[in-house]
Amino acid sequence: MEEKVTLNTEQSVADDLFVDSAEGTGAVAVAAPAPAKPKRRINRAKLQDNIWGWLFCLPLIIGTVWFVYIAFILAFLLSFTNFTSGDVDLINAVFHLGDYIHTGAGGAFHWYRELFTYNIPAYGLVNARNEMGAYLFNTVFYMIGIPIGMILSVFFAVCMSRDIKGGNVFRVLYYLPCVASTIAIVYTFKILFAQDGLINTILGIEVRDGVGLAWLPGVTAADSAYTWNYLIFHDDTDKYILSQFMVDPYWCHGIISKCIIIVMSVWKGLGGTIILYVAGLSGVNAATKEAAQIDGANGWQIFWKVTMPDLYPTIFYNIVTSVIGGLQIYAEPELLVNSGASTNTSTNTSGFVALIWRYGLTGSVQNYGQGAAYGIFLAIIIFILTLVQFWLDKRNSN
Amino acid sequence: MEENDMLLNEQAEGAQPEAETPVPPETKPKEVPIPGAATPEELKAYYGNFRYAWGSFLKFFGFSSKTHRASKKRAKLVADIATYVVLIVGAFFMVYPFWWMIAASFTVTDMGGGGSLQYIDKLIWWPIGKEASTWTASYNDKAVGAFYNYKFFFTTAFENTKQINVTYWRALLNNLIYSVVPVVVGVITSASAAFAFAKINWIGRDVVFMFLLAAIMIPGPSVMITQYVMYQDMNWADNGLVLIIPGMFGSIMTAFFIRQFLFGMPTSIIEAAKIDGAGYFRIFCQFILPLAMPAIMAQGLLSFMGCWNNYMGSYIFISAGSSMINLPHAMFLINATLENNQGPNIAGAVMCVLPVMILFACFQKLIIGSLMLTGSKE
Repeated sequence: MEEKVTLNTEQSVADDLFVDSAEGTGAVAVAAPAPAKPKRRINRAKLQDNIWGWLFCLPLIIGTVWFVYIAFILAFLLSFTNFTSGDVDLINAVFHLGDYIHTGAGGAFHWYRELFTYNIPAYGLVNARNEMGAYLFNTVFYMIGIPIGMILSVFFAVCMSRDIKGGNVFRVLYYLPCVASTIAIVYTFKILFAQDGLINTILGIEVRDGVGLAWLPGVTAADSAYTWNYLIFHDDTDKYILSQFMVDPYWCHGIISKCIIIVMSVWKGLGGTIILYVAGLSGVNAATKEAAQIDGANGWQIFWKVTMPDLYPTIFYNIVTSVIGGLQIYAEPELLVNSGASTNTSTNTSGFVALIWRYGLTGSVQNYGQGAAYGIFLAIIIFILTLVQFWLDKRNSN
Repeated sequence: MEENDMLLNEQAEGAQPEAETPVPPETKPKEVPIPGAATPEELKAYYGNFRYAWGSFLKFFGFSSKTHRASKKRAKLVADIATYVVLIVGAFFMVYPFWWMIAASFTVTDMGGGGSLQYIDKLIWWPIGKEASTWTASYNDKAVGAFYNYKFFFTTAFENTKQINVTYWRALLNNLIYSVVPVVVGVITSASAAFAFAKINWIGRDVVFMFLLAAIMIPGPSVMITQYVMYQDMNWADNGLVLIIPGMFGSIMTAFFIRQFLFGMPTSIIEAAKIDGAGYFRIFCQFILPLAMPAIMAQGLLSFMGCWNNYMGSYIFISAGSSMINLPHAMFLINATLENNQGPNIAGAVMCVLPVMILFACFQKLIIGSLMLTGSKE
């Protein structure tokens, strides 16, 4: 205690500062007839609060600033440059990044221009098309899984939150896929959906005698010929019918692979959202439900008129996080379809993040500038989407 | 007639009990018979035999109709059974792939030459089937019996992959380091930040909190490039520090959830400790950490699982030849060399999934409880 008192006198200047800024202490000082001692104690406590508050937060602040904010600002700056892995260390270059500003077409905005104007050259059955469009299309296509997963998880959550025995067991079982490693699940799905695999065997899908459908073309070389294109567009002589439909609309390329990726993501993510909805359902007002029941509402009406409005915040939170997560899809398509495959497959199935990866981190010269620019573009999309979602939420609740 | 129907509806739901008294048939012969009050003969006469039978069929499944009134108990029983059926079917689809993984890891795929997927492709429940003689015969050659695939994965698969310089045990050790050290340290730093945000009044607290929370808006892939360059320049990449040090600074989401938990804790404990002369550091160590242990444990376990399965981190930052790659990354690199011999690959997948499964089975109550808390708070 003694030590603290001496410390207190030393820091009286700082104490006075806090007295000025805090109204509460002033009120205490007025109320107490002998203000000297209590006033000082409170001041010291305030100082302690401030020191320890900042100290406790310091690691988290440093970590966030260093690994997120500084990284983001650097990415923003790099996006205007032609900085590559061939240049000096970024630490040496960071204070004169101006030297690296891109001088190609579009100037500093070269990579952004590239993003919007670069067309993938035509090869095989595919016509030339905008690269960003192709990859963003895949990303958006995978979001079909969001409403499917939402409906399924609300359904199962309603089932689980009924008054039955063993609801907890189901919750745990449904959560298992969330815990498992993506790579393990991908390898399992790859074999399940192989050309002679279990799914083809059980569903009896044959493209022709004894040859199953290749759900995931490119898993083995032999698989690649008998994709869904073959299933629909072949004549009696086993030749492809090259219809305009097959050549032109890019959305039909690799569509079965995409659907399997959706199936896998929904299956893997279901447990987490179910638990969120079960928690949301437990917050639904039981009294309102009972009142509705007495008024003669049936289960369907109670669900839509009582349960759903209460569940709305959870659904909204879930949609926001799923959309943000869905825009960042990378590992699933890469592992399930593209591992070691050609750019052709990659264009058909990869998400937008694959572009950042491909330009920024692979190749003999890694174009950090280009990768950073594409990353910033992704951040802008996500930011705008989040704002739109919150705006819709606000309009809805008014 | 319409009026009668309305009356019937009201009566059927028992809203007006006085209407249930049987109406003398001689005064109003065309009165609608009420199920429960009227005799079956009257109901049959009024609705016809077929509708009566249909009604009794519905009654058996707990549905009320114009001819029968089902008991609430029966309705609940039927609904419960339907719920169980739905949930069990769903649970089957959730669990079956894991069962299939385990069964597949005992299936013969190493057939010599090009290898073959024929047994693993036809596998449904367990590899013993039509081809039982074939696959037991080939297992008789192997000293380790049904665990041949595991042995192959642990030894031969790692040796055959020229790209990588790790053994299975090294990759496992790396995985353990990456998922224990940053998680334990990180969850404590997160908890300390959460304590400061929840229980200490300091100038700039809310501003700092919003500043940190805004970092969630920045998506990982957009800082991926600069993080990669930074870690390369700092020489953190191939020696694995990239998966250890950043995690030790804690995560804002973890801090956010522990903060929510701490809000529910009474402040009087801290006040009492302060009066007794304890400093904030002591309060944190002796009161907050033990009291918030459920939340801290749950968040720690969740981040442990995330780190254990962190394929992307190792794949992006650590080069394949490094001795610090983790297990999922090693599995990815090995997969290419296995080609059609997928059995060892699935054995590896089982070994990758098993530790987190066991951990989850042990702590499922804590983890699910914490997730539920998250859900109800949102």
